[in-house]
Amino acid sequence: MTAIGKYWRIALGVAVIAALIIVPMNFNRYGLYILSQWAVMTIAAMGLNLTLGYAGQVSLAQGAFVGIGAYAAAIMTTQGMPLIVALGVAIVLCFAIGWILGYPALRVQHHYLAFVTLAFSTLAFLVFRNEDWLTKGIYGISNIPRPNVLGFATNRPLPFYYFCLGSLGIVSLVMWWLIRSPWGRAFVALRENPVRALSLGIDTRRYTLMAFAIGSALGGVAGTLYAPLTQYIDPVPFNLSLSLDLLMMVIVGGSGFFFGPFLGAMIAVLLPEWLRFTQGYYLMLYAVAVMLLLIYSPTGILGILDRYLTERRTKAASALRAVAKSRLETAP
Amino acid sequence: MRSGIFAGLLLATVSAATALAQGAPIKLADVAELSGGGATVGNNWKNGIDLAIEEINAKGGVLGRKLEVTHADSQSNPGVARAQVQKALDNEPYVLLGPGYSGSVKVTSPLAAEAGITQIMGGEAAELTQGGNKFLFRTSFGQQSSMPKVAKYINDELKAKSVAIVWVNNDFGKGGRDVISKEFAKYNIKVAADLSTEAGQADFAADVSKIKAAAPDAAFIYLNEEESARILKELKRQAVAVPLVGETTLVGQKVVELAGDAANGARGHVGLTTDAPVDLVKAFREKFVKKYNYVPDHNGLKGYLAIYMVKATTEKMGKVDAKKFADTLHGLTIKAASEPGILMDVTFDEKGDIDRQGFLVEIVEGKQVVKQVLPKLN
Repeated sequence: MTAIGKYWRIALGVAVIAALIIVPMNFNRYGLYILSQWAVMTIAAMGLNLTLGYAGQVSLAQGAFVGIGAYAAAIMTTQGMPLIVALGVAIVLCFAIGWILGYPALRVQHHYLAFVTLAFSTLAFLVFRNEDWLTKGIYGISNIPRPNVLGFATNRPLPFYYFCLGSLGIVSLVMWWLIRSPWGRAFVALRENPVRALSLGIDTRRYTLMAFAIGSALGGVAGTLYAPLTQYIDPVPFNLSLSLDLLMMVIVGGSGFFFGPFLGAMIAVLLPEWLRFTQGYYLMLYAVAVMLLLIYSPTGILGILDRYLTERRTKAASALRAVAKSRLETAP
Repeated sequence: MRSGIFAGLLLATVSAATALAQGAPIKLADVAELSGGGATVGNNWKNGIDLAIEEINAKGGVLGRKLEVTHADSQSNPGVARAQVQKALDNEPYVLLGPGYSGSVKVTSPLAAEAGITQIMGGEAAELTQGGNKFLFRTSFGQQSSMPKVAKYINDELKAKSVAIVWVNNDFGKGGRDVISKEFAKYNIKVAADLSTEAGQADFAADVSKIKAAAPDAAFIYLNEEESARILKELKRQAVAVPLVGETTLVGQKVVELAGDAANGARGHVGLTTDAPVDLVKAFREKFVKKYNYVPDHNGLKGYLAIYMVKATTEKMGKVDAKKFADTLHGLTIKAASEPGILMDVTFDEKGDIDRQGFLVEIVEGKQVVKQVLPKLN
């Protein structure tokens, strides 16, 4: 990577962040709601990207963790506790449950693991629905308050969007650090070749559980934002379809790419909204678009970019090689 | 091509401006369960709305202005419903229609109230109208008004001392079950079995054998139409002879068609059904079947009525005034004699609850027979 390329990337990053802050200022409430939803879903998808994309463990339970986070936030904040406490509880709870759910991953892989996590997802839904005393069952919990952040009320849509965006920023930074740390490299080693990782002295058992636990905790973080966003939760949004949605976000965006979840969540949250003008056809068109994308690039949107960059690099390298070769041949 | 579009746009702007002078269309916004678990509910509701609007516009609209509606899909998800209602409210509709799921109503009604827009919805959960929201109106009986009638019937007519309750575990079924359990407690009727079932459940053998084991004096069955038919068949197969009582769904035409002989003897309270023995309702049903080629459930009727509520209220005000709409509709009685589209005389109270005639019916030889007409309360 040349120095110029690096500056370009930084400039692009700054421009995108500035746009995310400035452009929504004159959005209507609907636009802000959708963008907030995008930020929340991105956090949940980032968690799954860690579990699936980096550590290679298929999970169909991420939606359940969003639900656990959302219920923690809803139950605690409606009792008058601050959201930050609920956030702490959600993180600890999801981390612990994620850790336990990771144990089957030590024994089964791929679609078998998917089935185990699917069972957990169903179990979580049944708990949300049937444990009336805690979750108010199918009636759901309403009037969930929005938090005060550093003395600022986030009741209005714009401050709440900034709150979600800020949370996304913090999570992204932590994630950025995490995947560049020895942990992140251990996760990738786990995905690429567990036997070799083990022989290199990586405790694969601990890292598998850790990948599950951290990914799940991020689902919990997303949930604690989801509850004050909609201000009402019931069990239905946290059923299997949310887990599948999140899985799709990770795959469509580009599993194992840092920015994959950002793009994936954009596709999953914004694309159906853009297609709404087609009335009854919007979900069909959305499904077709996703299928076409995955046929064209099984590695997701960032896979396309990756392919293009690799191709360019290969071309540049071959060109250099050709030049060097011709020089060698013409040399006396 | 592009100049064509521009010309079209220009024409549209000019015609919109002139239309405004003589009354632009009245904009209504509908947010409903057009996909997902509530798709039957939402699509019936939507078709009812479209049918009513078509009729009204064909006759010149309301106060000389046409009605125009936009439909948005909530995917049966409260979070999506909130987004779509927000979008609808940003466009400042005259009245907001929907959603049908009680959860989605709960998440959206504070938004409509804050915007000062009247919301006419399909939810039936008792608590929806108990929160003092001045802008929320029902299109059907809430469970708090229908269930007491059923409980009274079970106590007074059937003289039952113990009852089995079978309910579907979603907000519709659970809401009904909770209200009627309280009513049974008032009459000292014992709940011998309390059976929760799943939406879409195919096999009721286990539930029916539990009813049989509990040996109640009557069974109250509160499921969706398909499931009602399945449980009726299973009850017949296992030869359970207790009186079967339901509310709206159990004695619907669709159940009779699906369950055949097994439906005979089932009884229930019916507030709003296309099978109601009222000429205007029968005429509605014919129109609906002609347009959409299927028999609507009560959600189709609800959507249809919502539009005629808009019409009657607006004509009562004599002008299109979104701010005064809710005030006018509170306490308003709409008579079918003067507004046939409302189908049956109806009164809206201060909470937005509905008061209308109801029926107690029994299925006799595959036909609904009205045993008792429950008059309007006031």
